[in-house]
Amino acid sequence: MAREFPAKKLPVSLITLAAAIALFPAFTQNPYYLNVANIIGLNTIVVVGLNLLIGYAGQISLGHAAFYGLGAYISGVLTVTYNVSPWIALATAVCVTAVLALLIGIPTLKLHGHYLVMATLGLNLIINIIMVQWDNVTGGPSGFPGIPNLSIGNWAFDSDLKMYCLIWGVVFVAIVLALNLVHSRPGRALRALHGSELAASCFGVDTKSYKVKIFVLSAIYASLAGSLYAHYLTFISPKTFDIFFSVELVTMVIVGGMGSIWGVLFGTIFLTSLPNVLHFFDEYKDIIYGLILVLILIFMPQGVGVAIRERWWKRGESERRVAPAPIPAARGEHAFAGNRASKPLATTPSDPILQIRNVSLNFGGLMALADVSCDIPGGAITALIGPNGAGKTTMINVISGIHRRRRGTIRFGVTDTHGLNPYRVAKMGVARTFQNVELFDHMSVLENVMLGMHAGTRNEFLHSMFRLPGFAPEEKHIELKSWEALSFVGLASKGYFPAYSLSFGEQKRLEMARALVAAPKLVLLDEPVAGLNMTESLEIARLITEIRCRGISVLLVEHDMNVVMKISDKIIVLNFGNKIAEGLPEEIQKNEAVLSAYLGGVA
Amino acid sequence: MSYETQLAQFIISGITTGSIYALIALGFCIIHNATGIVNFAQVDFVSLGGLMMYTLLLSLGLPLIPAFALAVAAVTAVGALVERLAIRPARSRAIIVLIFITIGVSIFMRGGFKVLWGKNQMALPHFSGESPLVILGAAVLPQSLWILFITLAVVVLLHFFFTRTRIGKAIRATSYNPRAAALMGVNVNRMILFSFALSGALGAVAGIIIVPITTLSYEIGVMLGLKGFAAAVLGGYGNSIGAVIGGLLLGVLESLGAGLISSTYKDVMAFAILVTVLFVKPSGLLGYGDSERR
Repeated sequence: MAREFPAKKLPVSLITLAAAIALFPAFTQNPYYLNVANIIGLNTIVVVGLNLLIGYAGQISLGHAAFYGLGAYISGVLTVTYNVSPWIALATAVCVTAVLALLIGIPTLKLHGHYLVMATLGLNLIINIIMVQWDNVTGGPSGFPGIPNLSIGNWAFDSDLKMYCLIWGVVFVAIVLALNLVHSRPGRALRALHGSELAASCFGVDTKSYKVKIFVLSAIYASLAGSLYAHYLTFISPKTFDIFFSVELVTMVIVGGMGSIWGVLFGTIFLTSLPNVLHFFDEYKDIIYGLILVLILIFMPQGVGVAIRERWWKRGESERRVAPAPIPAARGEHAFAGNRASKPLATTPSDPILQIRNVSLNFGGLMALADVSCDIPGGAITALIGPNGAGKTTMINVISGIHRRRRGTIRFGVTDTHGLNPYRVAKMGVARTFQNVELFDHMSVLENVMLGMHAGTRNEFLHSMFRLPGFAPEEKHIELKSWEALSFVGLASKGYFPAYSLSFGEQKRLEMARALVAAPKLVLLDEPVAGLNMTESLEIARLITEIRCRGISVLLVEHDMNVVMKISDKIIVLNFGNKIAEGLPEEIQKNEAVLSAYLGGVA
Repeated sequence: MSYETQLAQFIISGITTGSIYALIALGFCIIHNATGIVNFAQVDFVSLGGLMMYTLLLSLGLPLIPAFALAVAAVTAVGALVERLAIRPARSRAIIVLIFITIGVSIFMRGGFKVLWGKNQMALPHFSGESPLVILGAAVLPQSLWILFITLAVVVLLHFFFTRTRIGKAIRATSYNPRAAALMGVNVNRMILFSFALSGALGAVAGIIIVPITTLSYEIGVMLGLKGFAAAVLGGYGNSIGAVIGGLLLGVLESLGAGLISSTYKDVMAFAILVTVLFVKPSGLLGYGDSERR
């Protein structure tokens, strides 16, 4: 699980890392230790990339040894057989690996479930067998010797120490880039889709594309490390890149602590040096290695690195940290206004914001929605009510693009939303809450709200990793708006708490903040007061009316008639998938069909 | 040899190895259905079956049938132990953690086999002679017939077990909905234990009947096991009928590919099929109800 909340302490840990890297050669120049350190460094590059995939996107790859090997073999073959410059060979290897990862990732990552792990396992076995069998190119099982060292001009990286500087320099940059990515808009999106793919996509995260991108990025890390490996050892053989090494790499991530970059650094150092230590046990070393692995996974499933941190370092940290001192007045005129990049919705004032026409949807034989037509007026609170199983949540899901409707049209402003994915609907300015709270449990309260800004903001991978100009202002803007939204719902004091630690009522309010932060044109609230006590319900009802004052249209599904009748401008009643009434609250209260549907009389 | 006899030869040897893949694939499926995980220690159950047979038959000099029965029993017990000692005490129920526990167990077991049986190749005698019979013009080893016969018997028994017996039905109930099964009085933990034991038995049978044809080593199960895994995916991961069909099909395709195209890339064949299936029809040939059950 991802556990690293945006930490202002980062520079300290980075300075410590830089110092440790710089000081190591001062303690020992023993080639054996330097060699071990270099191998650890190379593994770290791969594992940091792999951790982004496993810990942040929740996908496992058993093919990273193959990507590592591709980097090594492409670099080796191009430089030796074709006399290409090592730097060009390295770049070529990165490109080829990235394309291969793309080809594997696109078909497998669009599916739910763990298809990537199976596909990459197959890929690794295939590539490894090709390395062994295609011997006139790869040198076959006995390996591929004579790879030149990297060099700049006439100055070659020809000693363990020089390579140490290069490799650990790359490690440092790799870690900085990964941390930059994690603490950014795409990083939050990745953690969010790991927590709840559904909720992430409803806030504008194109989940498939993000998964593919992070997979390709992790393959690039691996390929880069592979090229460095080839030029460092100058000899490569297929055995290094077999499926067992892929397994070992994933193990380093899990043992260190998925989702924690510092944890996996520990995992890599520990598991890479372990065989060197166990060497003394000779033939028993595999048994001991396996045993240690099993024991760690049984007793510290969150990873050793993370377990250590939770135990001794960061306990209670979220409680100690408080919101930044001057939180802008939430009720000021700026809140939820003018922070959306998209253009204003093309409607005339009299138009409804949402026109639903003849929408039908069935699940198997069950008609969930039968030919429903209605208008949702702009700038008003519309309630959708009906007995259990009437199709209310189904309607919300159809509007937000989760269910594809069978027939009918839904116009949002002037745009037909037919066939749009949830993330595209979100980008048009529709936000929502969920009946069974769908928060990103392991992200902080603040980050949950920040994710709500995803649809209208722009920072992508490159912007975030390299902190390109324009990154910081947008990030600051997102954070400011999020604090505003949090204080609007009264949660500003809990900004740094993990979302799972909130009470149910607070979680409901957090969902509201997340839905409102981007100033949507329409917000869909699915039973916002269900399960809350009277005081909490009244507070939410007050918030909803205040949302309307800001010009945001509300579509509300709710069973609590006190709330519905008090705040709604219009009510639509569904029963067994059919619309049975629509009108003002006082009309609905007197409607015969509605009364009989609710009281179970004969219609 | 005529083209037809050659073809018959490839198909028969394909069905022989395919049967082994089918047995291993069944083992993967049973544990997947009970727990939602991929049990990578399955490959070592296969090796251990062969290794135990070697010890009982050659080192201790037991007759064939008692040696067979004892070897299967031993691996069955090991399967149960794996569940009891490594899976059940796990503090996390996360699928990925459990999968990597089985990988740790696999490394541990393989390390143990290397210490106990050494790294050398060993050979086991065929069950009943090595002089080939001629069927449809193709030479068939008696061992192949044994493999076919035993696989068939195991599949029929397994079907009977899962559809007619109380425990078999309880295991199926556990795989469909563990919570509901528990509420109906099924001891879910015990069913998971039985699943591991059963997978151990299947792996052992596969290992015991194939090693007379191949050779025996402490890691003989690895490649066979990974291909069994590919077969399970081909059939539709978690689907038992799919596992058998996937296994046989994979065996035949691999044998035809090696015979007619190139034997150098024989091992690539199975995994190329695996990757292709995932791209084209990820639910496998027969599909399975619910890939995200947990």
